[in-house]
Amino acid sequence: MTPSRRHFLMGAAALSAAVATPERVRAAIARDVAAPWALATADLDADIAPRAMRLVQGRAPVGLEGTLFRNGPGKFRRPGGSATHWFDGDGLMRSFSLSGGGVTLAARFADTPKRRHETALDAVVTPGFGTVGDARGRIGSNDDASSANTAVMVTGEKVWALWEGGSPLRMDAATLATEDFVTLRPDLKGMPFQAHPRFAPDGTVWNVGTNGDQVIVWHMQASGALIDARMLRLPRASYLHDFTATDRHLIFVLQPWVFDRAGMPFSTQFAWQPELGTQVLVVDKADLTQTRLYELPTFSFFHLGDGWAEPDGTIRFDVAAGADVTFAIEGARALVAGRGPVPGEPCILKLVTLHPDGRAELASSGVTAEFPKGDPRRAGLARSLTVHVAGERGSRPLPDGLAIQDWNTGRSHAFSFGDTQIMEEAVFVPRPGTTAERDAWLVAPSINLAEGVTELHVFDVAAVEDGPVATWRADVALPAGFHGAWRG
Amino acid sequence: MTRTLSLIAAPLAALVLSAAPALAEPTSTLTVTFEPGARTGAVMVALYDARTYTGGQALRGARLDVATGQYTASFEGLEPGEYGIKAFHDVNGNGRMDTNPFGMPIEPYAFSNNAVGNMGPAGWDRARFTVDGATTQTISIR
Repeated sequence: MTPSRRHFLMGAAALSAAVATPERVRAAIARDVAAPWALATADLDADIAPRAMRLVQGRAPVGLEGTLFRNGPGKFRRPGGSATHWFDGDGLMRSFSLSGGGVTLAARFADTPKRRHETALDAVVTPGFGTVGDARGRIGSNDDASSANTAVMVTGEKVWALWEGGSPLRMDAATLATEDFVTLRPDLKGMPFQAHPRFAPDGTVWNVGTNGDQVIVWHMQASGALIDARMLRLPRASYLHDFTATDRHLIFVLQPWVFDRAGMPFSTQFAWQPELGTQVLVVDKADLTQTRLYELPTFSFFHLGDGWAEPDGTIRFDVAAGADVTFAIEGARALVAGRGPVPGEPCILKLVTLHPDGRAELASSGVTAEFPKGDPRRAGLARSLTVHVAGERGSRPLPDGLAIQDWNTGRSHAFSFGDTQIMEEAVFVPRPGTTAERDAWLVAPSINLAEGVTELHVFDVAAVEDGPVATWRADVALPAGFHGAWRG
Repeated sequence: MTRTLSLIAAPLAALVLSAAPALAEPTSTLTVTFEPGARTGAVMVALYDARTYTGGQALRGARLDVATGQYTASFEGLEPGEYGIKAFHDVNGNGRMDTNPFGMPIEPYAFSNNAVGNMGPAGWDRARFTVDGATTQTISIR
């Protein structure tokens, strides 16, 4: 073939398309270098035996005694195949025990059938929320697929590791040893028990489990004993990670991420249909057939704050509201990859108001937020404060501090550690002998990226802006957890 | 998750324990011993070959009254070859495999080789085993 001008030009075009521009080189380097926050999704290879944490700042608050239990994924990668989504790592139960001014840290993996099978194969083979899995999976029931990695509920001397699609997994609170899956009633064996039980002013506990548009509503004693279980049908088969409640109502937020087709991983079953808007179904706890449906502009969500009903029938609750499901689909995968940009916009704390006349409103705080939590003395009752993690932004995908939103004043009280820390969810711990909402501490760990270790912090609710009143430092870094519960 | 896993329930609940006549000179015996988690009700056993395992009629069946200590099923006069077993434990003795409100089995079920499926009943590739002469299987069903 005779070289021609045309051939040359075509070749040059192809070459220029392949040439590495400085921008492309920089982007490629950024993709290949472990992200500064990569410790958040690092693997822990073994349980952490109980060990003292060292007080590095402030002093232990007098009267703060108890244990913060936290759950979250602790191992993603195995030589023969890995979990590729943040929600699919093996559940690691952690305990931070505060006693006599000291803190003891321990952590044990939930000894699930999934983890046992995958340890034997040295490969992650079980499909999950975003992990595909492979033909070597051994799944004879929902619980066989459980990573028991999402949250924790304290029931006396036991803690239940909670997941979304199956039974609670009972572990010993003192040793964190795994016992067995919990069957609340023989005819309800294997029914899903989701990760966000709601505590009622009467001391009982409500939770839900979903399958498409079907819901099981669990009502329990705080001991974990079942009071009753009833079935409910939702008007829309939305992906529902969390529900909320007032003293008299169950509240289901139905985002337009709706069941579309069967298949795995689980998240592929849902289609984002923003044109549908977001609905809120309010159900009477006493009679699940008494419902009311409200319409809101489109938002996505994982987490809600506790709700309350006012004397005139107005219902309010907060939500960490997202623009879409980009983080759930792509961002949570990038987090496990540990490098490159993390797609998805941070959520914003918003307050939902459901009026007696049927109108619904969504008011934004304007503050970046996840993991909203309130005063447990006011669960299901009127309150003004919501604590949440804060500081997520595009260049830094995980939170770097805590904030308290005061819905009465409209003010946000925030503290940021800056880029050197990844902040985890805080629990709200009332100060003994007090009743006011501000008479409480926040207890939360972080990953100190500069030191490469996990820390535990205590904040004063009345002065969050001042930073922690005490900080203890471990000699090990645990991957970021999801949700915790306090046992005083 | 629950939606997909409910695929498990229907095929097992539809276990048909009908016996088909043996065709040739049968020479082998299969003895299946169950290790149930409960000592009530009955274990319902169905034996298949490669042709019938997935959706076909069982070749042989047995009902083991575990409440009276019966844990072993014997299938005599089998052609040597590959077989698979499906079983469930009717713990409350009501004659069917009970399911929870989302359609998932709440009574134990099991397959030969103690095989577990992958979001469904264990497939033939996992459950098949060779019967030749006097053959035994021990199946945990709990």
